Amino acid sequence: MDRRTCLRGLGASLALPLLDVMAESKAAKPPVRLGFMYMPHGVIMNHFWPTSPETYLTSPPRNLESLKGVLEQCLLMKGIAGVNPAPFNGAPHALELSTWLTATLPNADRRNQVNIAISADQIAANSIGAFTALPSLELATMPQTHKENQEGLHEAYYSHCSYSSPTQALPAETNPRTVLNRIFQSQGQGAQPGLRRTSDPLERSMLDLVLGGAKDLRSSLGESDRHKLDEYLDSVRFLERRIAAIESRQAEAAKRAAGVTSTKRSGSDSVPIQVVIPEGDRRSDYMRVMCDLTILAFQTDTTRVSTYIGSTPNGVSYPELGFTDQHHSQTHHNNETEKVDKVSKITAFNISQFAYMIKRMHNLREGDGTLLDNCIMMWGSGLEDGNAHSRANLPFILAGRGGGSVRPGRFLTNTSGNQGDLLGTLLTCARIPLDRPIGIANKLLMDAI
Amino acid sequence: MTEFPSLPRLRAFGIALVLFPGATVLSGLAAEPASDPETAARAAAKRTYETRVVPFLKTYCSACHEDKQKGGVTFRYAKRDPGSPAFRSIWKTSLSNVESEAMPPEDEKQPTPEERKMFADWVNGLKYLSPKDPGAFVIHRLSKTEYGNTLRDLFGVDPGIASELPDEVPGAGYLNSISPVQMEQYLDIANKVLDEILTTDGKLPSQIESQLFGPVPATAKLSEESIRQSAVQLARRTFRRPPSDSEAALLVKVFRLARDNGKSDPESLLLMLKAALVSPQFLFITPIPATGNAPLPEIVPLDDDQLASRLSYFLWATMPDSTLTDLAAAGTLHQPEVLRAQVRRMLADPRSRALFDGFGAQWLGLDKLATKTFDAAKFPGMTQTLRTAMYDEARLFFADIVANNRSLTTFVDCDFSYLNETLAPLYGLEKTVTGPAMRKVRFTNENRGGILAMPGILATTSFPNRTSPVNRGVWVLEQVLGQHVPPAPANVPSLDKQDQKTVAGLTLRQRTELHRTNPVCANCHKILDPIGFGLENFDAIGRWRDADETGGTIDPTGELPGNLRFQSPGELKRIIASRSADLCRNLTEKMLAYALGRPLEGYDEIVVDQLTQTIKEDNYRMQTLISAIVGSYPFTHRRTKE
Repeated sequence: MDRRTCLRGLGASLALPLLDVMAESKAAKPPVRLGFMYMPHGVIMNHFWPTSPETYLTSPPRNLESLKGVLEQCLLMKGIAGVNPAPFNGAPHALELSTWLTATLPNADRRNQVNIAISADQIAANSIGAFTALPSLELATMPQTHKENQEGLHEAYYSHCSYSSPTQALPAETNPRTVLNRIFQSQGQGAQPGLRRTSDPLERSMLDLVLGGAKDLRSSLGESDRHKLDEYLDSVRFLERRIAAIESRQAEAAKRAAGVTSTKRSGSDSVPIQVVIPEGDRRSDYMRVMCDLTILAFQTDTTRVSTYIGSTPNGVSYPELGFTDQHHSQTHHNNETEKVDKVSKITAFNISQFAYMIKRMHNLREGDGTLLDNCIMMWGSGLEDGNAHSRANLPFILAGRGGGSVRPGRFLTNTSGNQGDLLGTLLTCARIPLDRPIGIANKLLMDAI
Repeated sequence: MTEFPSLPRLRAFGIALVLFPGATVLSGLAAEPASDPETAARAAAKRTYETRVVPFLKTYCSACHEDKQKGGVTFRYAKRDPGSPAFRSIWKTSLSNVESEAMPPEDEKQPTPEERKMFADWVNGLKYLSPKDPGAFVIHRLSKTEYGNTLRDLFGVDPGIASELPDEVPGAGYLNSISPVQMEQYLDIANKVLDEILTTDGKLPSQIESQLFGPVPATAKLSEESIRQSAVQLARRTFRRPPSDSEAALLVKVFRLARDNGKSDPESLLLMLKAALVSPQFLFITPIPATGNAPLPEIVPLDDDQLASRLSYFLWATMPDSTLTDLAAAGTLHQPEVLRAQVRRMLADPRSRALFDGFGAQWLGLDKLATKTFDAAKFPGMTQTLRTAMYDEARLFFADIVANNRSLTTFVDCDFSYLNETLAPLYGLEKTVTGPAMRKVRFTNENRGGILAMPGILATTSFPNRTSPVNRGVWVLEQVLGQHVPPAPANVPSLDKQDQKTVAGLTLRQRTELHRTNPVCANCHKILDPIGFGLENFDAIGRWRDADETGGTIDPTGELPGNLRFQSPGELKRIIASRSADLCRNLTEKMLAYALGRPLEGYDEIVVDQLTQTIKEDNYRMQTLISAIVGSYPFTHRRTKE
């Protein structure tokens, strides 16, 4: 049996030959990119939502002050409800992140395993990810090592929001240098200092053989073990594809060097930004470099989907803000002024990192407009209010025009919809076909957006 | 000595300790029928469920907790498969609510005390609903540390070469999966290793080459037979077991692929090596693929090679050495006396520090110490040097207990530790302990010694700027005694949210004690608080103090349920150490979960019953605990089907 037959037997589908999909026409509009950035525990509602649509642009609420200058590029929609947590009421922080991009609860019958749903970013990666060297980029500030299992839920639910299938949580990268190397490699620039030499074409064929060799092993394993092995096989398959993509980029770079015009970029586009990895461990420096990497990956079309878990729901404090209290402990504030103020400062801090990214994207030219014009960037939280664990009005900010599909610069006071509706709408704006509603979705919000 | 009664609502597992006198720990190697008391208990648990628990739920619970999901609680899912580990926490929570009479609500029909007890006994006997089963043995993927160490043993490189892999939750239940990102990193790291060790003319150092490929003839062109032999030796070394015929054939194919593309034979061997290093057989601990078409029995003992790997990664976090490999090749490793002797040998080897780095540090919470935030203004001394010294103190202390095969109670109650000049000031011993080297120190002060009084642990259980008696109490109950402390019920203000007028002028202790005037809180806090306040003489980084931040004198006296009074941390230590059975059960559960790389469930609870009995019979000795785990049924067996 050859590898392809074997893979079909495993239920995995093969990617299209890569060079065909990468050969996009020169006249194509710049692609739409999707970015997600997360903060846990919700917000202080009246510090986050504008008082009225009229005052939104002129006197934004205190949490949004860092967005001044790009509020015209942002859309706020109040009234998007999160997933009803029952029967997991005792596990609000396992749900806030895991439901954020799935709009679905974990499977109650198999709660001690990862068993939820493919997340919106991965639906996007499966579709528009085929055009880029990296289908998607998953980033995080904290290592995803939180151990807790309230309501018997698997610990991965506390620190993961991207799921490539109902049973596979995708780990996020926390080391900016690794991400930068991946972007450079994907651009066919393998000769960066500290990087390995350019890929060996034989490696791809070697991986192909290794894949084929796993099948005997598979047949003598139990069901869960087979499942693990299948994840491994998928990873090898992905790697093969990625090496092919790197080879294609290398060929393109060689053509560019020989004076042939690239099909990828237009002459008026801004040059790729310089990313400098900061020394030290200031949180803001760290978060900004992760934002920079997202920008660079979008700018260079290394990926069109990025998810950044800016902070996780466990033991995170912000010494840079002048206090060491942990985020979670402050969100149970019972309206005490000092704690409310600290939560508000933490929220403003997180939003200001997002604002940094948005402003930078707004200043980069691409096609007839800016990079931001061709993106849909979402910042948000999985809870409305950390004090009460409520989820009726999830706080989130959308930025960018999605290539003309989104009309920013507005504050909608009463959007009636849920988290699934919102995610489905964003994917539709990015021209990603949906074969079913996302989680609890029951409509699209195309009129609102 | 009297033991203070454990609160039923705090128990993680059942109180009923049913022992099987006939069961010996190392008997599980041949497939054997389940012992009779187990079968009987299983039938009884099933019967009780059908005849009594189902009607109990229907009468007292279903109106709110079936379709209505009141408070987010529903038995709808748990009833479909009551013995499933997925629902352990639901049953345990219900148990505490029913026992504490929080449920059913006051205005609803109440069960009789007899009915409440029936429900409690049934929940405590849930383990009997699980059939004898070694657990879904998810083929163990090498953790980041294990992978780095294995590369060190194979190639002599620094294990830090794997540092770019993502961090992972160590031990029980970490995400045993592999992502595309990681796969790419594995290939990168393999290339990096080769870059590092290849000689200037692109060859492997001769010793490494002969370990990997056996004797490679120095002919111009390798014969088919030489290639095959190299492939077999490479697989033995990197897969940690002999390959099946097709696995060897596959490596030969990789060699040919390179040769057909114009590579020299040495280059082709290197591509074969790269293929081995990204193969699942290297990255996971796998069984030898079954040959022939006969279906495997549902549960099989691990083969000796797989056992050697499992043992080696458990105690050393690296690949088996030649002694283990030879015993596996001879087919004798699984014999109980051989296995025990190997455990002793391995624990005496310096590589066994991996057991602390992988398990001990996580158990004691010290893995968080390096990155924990401390208020720099209040604790300027909390430098990386001090953090390292704190970690080393716990590591050497743990190693001492293992090496000298001491009783587990030594962890709590003893009079020694390991200090150097960095740590000595925290102990007030800066005059006697000098120099950077860690050395064993005996204390005359009975308040010192043991994990309850160890600076690293006292620091990790504190807030960045002050001690947390509640955190310390929870830590002792959960990490030392193995009890499960439920989160504070909703709508109860935490300490900082108390009405400021009521609490004005009260000390931290008095304020915390207000908790105990509320019956909902009192249940847990009457145990948590005395323990936490009994340790208040240690500040947030473990220094002794007589007064707290406010200047108030610290009152270290307390009383635990059962009239157990103490006047000092030293006396508190002895009370906790007297709970030897709980200590033992806790450590057994935690270490078994680590050894298996998965959370405990179902049948494991019965295994733990058996192990704790064996360990108790040998006076709770540490090496006995480790040996018992290595010889246990789930460690030595695997399931081949769901």
